[in-house]
Amino acid sequence: MPDTVLTLEGVQTFIDQHHILQGVSLEVPAGQALVLLGRNGAGKSTTLRTVMGLTPASRGSIVFDGADITQARPYEIARAGIGFVPEDQAVLYTLTVEENFRLAMLSEDEASFARQEAVFELFPDLKKFWKSKAGVLSGGQKQMLAIARTMVNDHKLLLIDEPSKGLAPILVDQLAESLNQIKSHTTIVLVEQNFHMASQVGQDYYILDDGLVVHQGVMSDLAQDHELKQKYLGIA
Amino acid sequence: MSNVAQSAALELNGSQNLKKWGGWILGVGIWFLPLLWTDLTTYLVLTVAGITMGMLLFLTASGFTIILGLMDVINLAHGAFFAWGAYTGFTALTLLNKYGWVETGSLGQSVGSILICLVLALAIGWVLGVILEWLLIRRTYGSHLKQILITMGAALVMAEIITIFWGPNDEVVQTPAAFTGSIDVFDVIVEKFRLLAILVGGAVFIAMNWVLHKTKLGIIVRGGVENGEVVQTLGHNIRRIFTYVFAAGAALAAMGGTMWSIYTQEIRPDMGEENLIFALIVVVIGGMGSVTGCFLASLMVGLAFNYVAFSAPTLALGVNIMIMAVILLLRPSGLMGRD
Amino acid sequence: MSIPTTAFTPVEMLRQQEAAARYTRPALWLQLAILALFILEPWAISSFRVMDVAAKVMIFTVLVASYDLLLGYTGIFSLAHAMFFGMGAYSLALITHHAGGPAWWHLPLAGLVALVLAVLVSLLVAFFSLRLKALFFVVMTLALAQFADILSLQWHSFTGGEDGVSFKLPGVLAVDWSGGSLAGVPLNGRLLSYYVVLIVAVLLFMGLVRFVRSPAGRVLKSIRDNEQRATALGYKTFNYQILSNVFSAAVAALCGVLYAMWVRFVDPESAMSTAIMLNILLMLIIGGMGTLYGAIVGTAFIFIAESWLADGLNAVKSYLPDLLILQRLADRWILYFGILFILVVIFFPKGLVGTARDMAARRKKRSAVE
Repeated sequence: MPDTVLTLEGVQTFIDQHHILQGVSLEVPAGQALVLLGRNGAGKSTTLRTVMGLTPASRGSIVFDGADITQARPYEIARAGIGFVPEDQAVLYTLTVEENFRLAMLSEDEASFARQEAVFELFPDLKKFWKSKAGVLSGGQKQMLAIARTMVNDHKLLLIDEPSKGLAPILVDQLAESLNQIKSHTTIVLVEQNFHMASQVGQDYYILDDGLVVHQGVMSDLAQDHELKQKYLGIA
Repeated sequence: MSNVAQSAALELNGSQNLKKWGGWILGVGIWFLPLLWTDLTTYLVLTVAGITMGMLLFLTASGFTIILGLMDVINLAHGAFFAWGAYTGFTALTLLNKYGWVETGSLGQSVGSILICLVLALAIGWVLGVILEWLLIRRTYGSHLKQILITMGAALVMAEIITIFWGPNDEVVQTPAAFTGSIDVFDVIVEKFRLLAILVGGAVFIAMNWVLHKTKLGIIVRGGVENGEVVQTLGHNIRRIFTYVFAAGAALAAMGGTMWSIYTQEIRPDMGEENLIFALIVVVIGGMGSVTGCFLASLMVGLAFNYVAFSAPTLALGVNIMIMAVILLLRPSGLMGRD
Repeated sequence: MSIPTTAFTPVEMLRQQEAAARYTRPALWLQLAILALFILEPWAISSFRVMDVAAKVMIFTVLVASYDLLLGYTGIFSLAHAMFFGMGAYSLALITHHAGGPAWWHLPLAGLVALVLAVLVSLLVAFFSLRLKALFFVVMTLALAQFADILSLQWHSFTGGEDGVSFKLPGVLAVDWSGGSLAGVPLNGRLLSYYVVLIVAVLLFMGLVRFVRSPAGRVLKSIRDNEQRATALGYKTFNYQILSNVFSAAVAALCGVLYAMWVRFVDPESAMSTAIMLNILLMLIIGGMGTLYGAIVGTAFIFIAESWLADGLNAVKSYLPDLLILQRLADRWILYFGILFILVVIFFPKGLVGTARDMAARRKKRSAVE
């Protein structure tokens, strides 16, 4: 069996009294981009948020890199090596780009600054707006900042929640390219509604429906399987 | 059609400009209004007194606003830290006076006794803040109702403990000798202690801005005020940081209490309650979580209080309530608040 | 089994069940027993102190219940409830005091003035701050209450300042009026005042209960539980919140008139101060928010504890007269109320009546399962 970075085993999550995740089990193999697919409300984002400890699981277990993180707090999970890119370009608008980076950098050592320089090559715009408030960036730039700031750390795993949401098609392609570069050194779990983007980046996929994993397989097969796509994703 | 739309847009633009600049002109101009019924010298004296009060209010209100912004915690016991700081300073001054430092001492001894008071107040505020946060506040995250009830209870208990230790009566606070009396600047009489209070308040404002903008802790706090969840997922234990911020806010309030008690030369067990009300008005006017807004609002409240209190002391609070109501009508989230 | 076709909607059927069960519920008999207790009190115990406590319990029950309407049923946190109470109290005191001798028209006039003032001020507060975040309403009401307190303290020529106002009531309500005795109990102004308090308090309390059970009351509860849902269902939530705010303030003001009528003396300490507001909160929390009847329990508990605790602490004081700290500890009974208050909020947030209702509901459920 290849290295598994993250394992979810029968994870159940409640938000208030709503039973959102009803027993999600999945495995994330190292060194690839895994895509979570499914309709709105299927529980994709909640899966990421549960891994991150933002909506803690009430049952089941989450193992990351050999350690049980089911009950860990979000900051502990981040420090254990999981980077999180939340939905809706959630950068901190009132802070400058520089401050957003500084906030994300867990240890201010040479290696981190070297990674930061490397990130600029991937997202040169961010260097241009270094001293501006993140709130003035365009949607695409905000999304890039949200991804880029997590990359200054040596994360083993990156959870990315719908990065293409609200972006122009041309930006989506750019973003896909960037993610392809990132996945060469970091494992990615990607939640994506944009099938085009998902098939450009992802290798394995899981489909969630009503808080359960209903299907899994390899992305290139799914692209051919119109019936499956129609059934769970509502696309032909 | 397009012409109509254009002119409508222009008109909108114009009225927006008017709103923006009119607001500024009105906002600045209104502070000269008292000149209509007071002469210039009195006006300047009142202005200095108002700025002093504003600076000292800022010490209490700034902690409250950051605590509110960072963890959405409404802490009505914040005024109790103010009172505890005042009583700590009072005790320290009484003791130091026995050694001749306060009423008769040299400049060095005066400065020393003020410093001792401030350090002790900061320490007491910090300790009480940590205790309150550990004991009560963390049981109330997410519920404003519980926060208001529990912190009201805590405020009551803390005020009662003061009366047990120090008795229920008003006490007179000594001002260290070097800071009594006043200096004369072009016929405007400025009490020396007011200058010191303005200095201290201004220094705290600058230091706070430095911490918030130049240190990592400050960036975490500002980020946390905007979006605590994101800051957590970036690897920061926001709850622990909140404990520090809470304690720091309490320490600042306690320091404000010491300064206030030396300034007014009296202390009462329930002095925290009154201070809290003004601090709350400041927070509402300034906008939750904004330090700069808090600073401006502190000055506004301090000035308005003094201008009105000079001729009608009973109405001073009422005028501030009116200012708050008007600001809320114009800007529902305060001067610098975000929605 | 087929469903019988009736002309009733499900809600109507539920209401009919409720109505049919009315006379078999133990709660009704408990309510009647409490009412009887208050009616018969002057004949059972001939002590002015007990009668005084009983009258104050009745007044404060209504006051606390009207606050419950605001906080427990509508979810609005106001700190100005004592201010409305004080407005009512001062209305009667100042009218009677400034108008010279006591006259009958003072009472209805005071009631009217109190109502108009309370409605106007509560409307104003609601318009300015009810739309905004909860904190703003708290700040606005707290500041206004403080302002009213300052006015009553410092406007010496009008309110008598710290010394307060004492005044006389006309005719049969006057202290010195006496009309013989009935079954060993002297019929005097005090006794008649007691029954006026009783009648008005019961009427006001029944009005509050009716209001809470009315369609408007049900909407208020739905706003408290989920304001967005109530808005989505098409209710103008703001109007309902204003209604609750105004109604509750009006009842509080009438309680104030009643209180002044009973005590015949009003000062800031007993009618306007933060201490009164804290007492109201404490009574409500101990009795249980969102229950109305919790008000009786909480109020009775506090008034009884207050007299008992003061006696007990005085005993402790006389036993050890030399320890200054102990003397002060014994003086500060508010301290113990504060601690009690915090403990109740943390460990007992539903209060006595709320917890009792939960337990009863659980027992019913369990017996239904068996």
